[in-house]
Amino acid sequence: MPTSTVFTLIRQLVTKKATNKFPVTYAPDNMHAAAAEIQKGRLKINPPVELPPNFRGKLAYDVDACIGCKICLKVCPSEALVFKPEEKKIKHYVSRCTFCSQCVDVCPKDCLKMSDEFLIAGLDKYGKDMVLNP
Amino acid sequence: MSDKNTYQVPIGPIHPAFKEPFMVNFVLDGETIVDAEAHPGMNHRGVEFMGMHRNPLKVIPLAERICGICSIVHQHMFTTATEHAAGIEPTERARYIRTILAELERIHSHVLWAGVAAHEIGFDTHLHFTWKVRERVMDLLEYITGNRVNYAMWTIGGVNRDITKKMYPKIEDTLLYYESLYGKLEDIFLGDTSIRLRTRNVGILTEEDALRLCGVGPTVRASGVRKDVRIDQPYAAYGDLDLDYVIPSSFGYENTGDVFSKTLVRLKEIPQSIDLIRQCVDGMPDGDIDSEPRKAVLINKLKKADGEGIGRIEAPRGEAFHYVRLEGGMEEVANWKVRASTYNNLTTYRPMFMGEQIADIPIIAACIDPCIGCMDRAEVVDVRSGERKHFSHEELHRLSVEKTKMLLGGLP
Amino acid sequence: MNFEEWTLRLLVILVLPFIGIFLGLAYKGFDRKISAMMQSRIGPPLRQPFRDVKKLFMKENIIPDHAVAWVFHGAPLFALIAPLVALAYLPLGPFEPVMEGYGDLILILYLLAIPAVAMAMGGLASGSPYATVGAQRELVLMMSYEFPLAIAAVTIAWKYESFSLAAISQTPVWSMVGPMGALGLLLIALGLFAVLPGELSKVPFDQAEAETELGGGLFVEYSGRNLGVFYLAEAVKMVVVGALLIALLFPHNISQWYSFGGPELLGVSVLGTVADVLFFLFKLLIIIYAGVSLVRVALARFQIDKASYFYWVPMTLLGLLGTVLVVMEGVI
Repeated sequence: MPTSTVFTLIRQLVTKKATNKFPVTYAPDNMHAAAAEIQKGRLKINPPVELPPNFRGKLAYDVDACIGCKICLKVCPSEALVFKPEEKKIKHYVSRCTFCSQCVDVCPKDCLKMSDEFLIAGLDKYGKDMVLNP
Repeated sequence: MSDKNTYQVPIGPIHPAFKEPFMVNFVLDGETIVDAEAHPGMNHRGVEFMGMHRNPLKVIPLAERICGICSIVHQHMFTTATEHAAGIEPTERARYIRTILAELERIHSHVLWAGVAAHEIGFDTHLHFTWKVRERVMDLLEYITGNRVNYAMWTIGGVNRDITKKMYPKIEDTLLYYESLYGKLEDIFLGDTSIRLRTRNVGILTEEDALRLCGVGPTVRASGVRKDVRIDQPYAAYGDLDLDYVIPSSFGYENTGDVFSKTLVRLKEIPQSIDLIRQCVDGMPDGDIDSEPRKAVLINKLKKADGEGIGRIEAPRGEAFHYVRLEGGMEEVANWKVRASTYNNLTTYRPMFMGEQIADIPIIAACIDPCIGCMDRAEVVDVRSGERKHFSHEELHRLSVEKTKMLLGGLP
Repeated sequence: MNFEEWTLRLLVILVLPFIGIFLGLAYKGFDRKISAMMQSRIGPPLRQPFRDVKKLFMKENIIPDHAVAWVFHGAPLFALIAPLVALAYLPLGPFEPVMEGYGDLILILYLLAIPAVAMAMGGLASGSPYATVGAQRELVLMMSYEFPLAIAAVTIAWKYESFSLAAISQTPVWSMVGPMGALGLLLIALGLFAVLPGELSKVPFDQAEAETELGGGLFVEYSGRNLGVFYLAEAVKMVVVGALLIALLFPHNISQWYSFGGPELLGVSVLGTVADVLFFLFKLLIIIYAGVSLVRVALARFQIDKASYFYWVPMTLLGLLGTVLVVMEGVI
């Protein structure tokens, strides 16, 4: 008989569970309604796990600092960066980004940065927050 | 092939025994397997073709997405091959950092495999247990590289991010955690009666078959074949490190080649990886992490480069291989070929399946740690008739001779 | 027997299926939650099985082209009705069986075999190779666990010289034997607990469904309402088998040890009845935890030949040894 397994199992009845409770412990019946409730602040969400110091999240773009050198376009693997010739700036599609951070490494003016933001799932991939400098 | 007493059961293309689209056609007599025939090619995504339209720096993030679990393996091989082709040497420090990450991934891959194997034999408790403890090494990888799965750490000639002194305590913490956990994993997977009942004398691969079918990695090491690229042809920092082949007979077990020995080899590789990471951390040389930090210069250098290179490394699943050809004046990769370890190990399925029961299909299928996403690189479909085609050995040989002639400049 | 009594019986028989289904789903929820907790997960909420059934009943009911339609549709109904009928012949806590005097232990054993046969029939009728393999396995398994189950039932019935469950549950069997017989009964109880996961198709004896091997086996072609009915059948069967085990081995009631005062209805103390019902539910909980949840998280799935061997050789021998001990004591 697997006795040690049985003891472990019974002990795990009371120990802390490994499930990540973020954002809510049980899935709500209506996801959209729950999301609306959360936005209004009526429903509280469980905090996510702590982020590591150099986490690679959504790209942050400093438009004014950009000089339009186009080096980042050369290293972007998924064509998430598009050049806007009339402005000499870039446009970033968050939904296409692979978060490889190569554009951040090459940028000579440091106008691109990886932020801590990771809650970027959405229904509209060309929505308000999903395109930087539209 | 089929007569009155036998019937066919297709396992796949979508089936819980395989976690990815893959198909094996079984001929069964009652519960016993009489014949098995693998039909790969269900998960072809044209990654190589996409890679041939991009410059090497853009290919790295693509290469790591060939497979989620072998993320490091593919970027490692691609960069090694490209460096070989362009004549760029990675810095010493980068070699060590690469080794640390590769070994961390080996731990994560083997722990994950142990969980999947447990799930295949209906032991979900251990699936949940191993995946819970795997989080620690994922956390460490996230801490070092900034992401849990797709690390984006490699670059041509080095790595993108450094492992600083500040990170050492956390690495040591994680290693200690896995060291203390190892006894329990061994107790579960080697000591548990119901697991032994399902893995002992199941899916036997003899040493002879292992050599004949050119299997790689833990699959053949379990049969007693001494085969490990890390030792046979050292890459990254493995030449400086002290390591030995992990085969069951070194630990007082028989080299039976059954699922139990394969589990044993994988588990025994965890302490080996821990030891290798310690050696790397202790002997980490100072210096740059990147031989060419300016990416724009690097791209120009790669554009001028002309030549071909290979990257050959020991993935957690066994030896894997990338071939890269660069042409002078061309920014894109001229040719890219991926050959993952599962492709070799697939041939070992037939001798392992023969004579076993239906109940053993999932665990035998899982015992080579198949990664179909890595493996499925080509499929031949006749566009006009929609027919799938299989090439014979002679045909393939003729085609490759023709292709070599063509590449060398001559007409076919 | 007078008219009022028959009306009461009819009423109870009409209500009993609903109680059975409710209890079954509730205990299924408990089983899932407690298994998850033992595996260090949070697990689904307790009402998850109710939601599952609701959802399954809303889904489309697909019949495969190769299926024999009437068997395919009939099998789930047979699988559900048999354990519901069995419920009427079982003593539930302080209550005597509703159909007392019209059926006994043998009938219940047969009724318990019907769901397995119905499932196998449904599997064979669905025309899928996976379901066929699953059906074969289910039948092999059924033939294997029936023997230890029969040995246990016959031994206990022999002690009472009656197959009537009402008589058996009146006096706990442990009070009728000496030390040697108690040892024999202990072995028989072990055998019965080993039959429990097989009877309910749970790991390590879920070869017929075997998710990773057969992708659901018997149920691979079932969907929607039919699958929902199978789900209910499984839930009710859990209660029936649990109640049978309680009736055979632990028919104790709190009111035997402690007499409750308070208001009375139909000649029995209301408080005592409530306590007995709660105690019965608690016993069921313990049996399901020890016999189903704990076993299914602590073991791997066996191969079908090893499962069959397990029932035919070690468990049968265990049962026979228990029988010999019980009988020997009676002779000496």
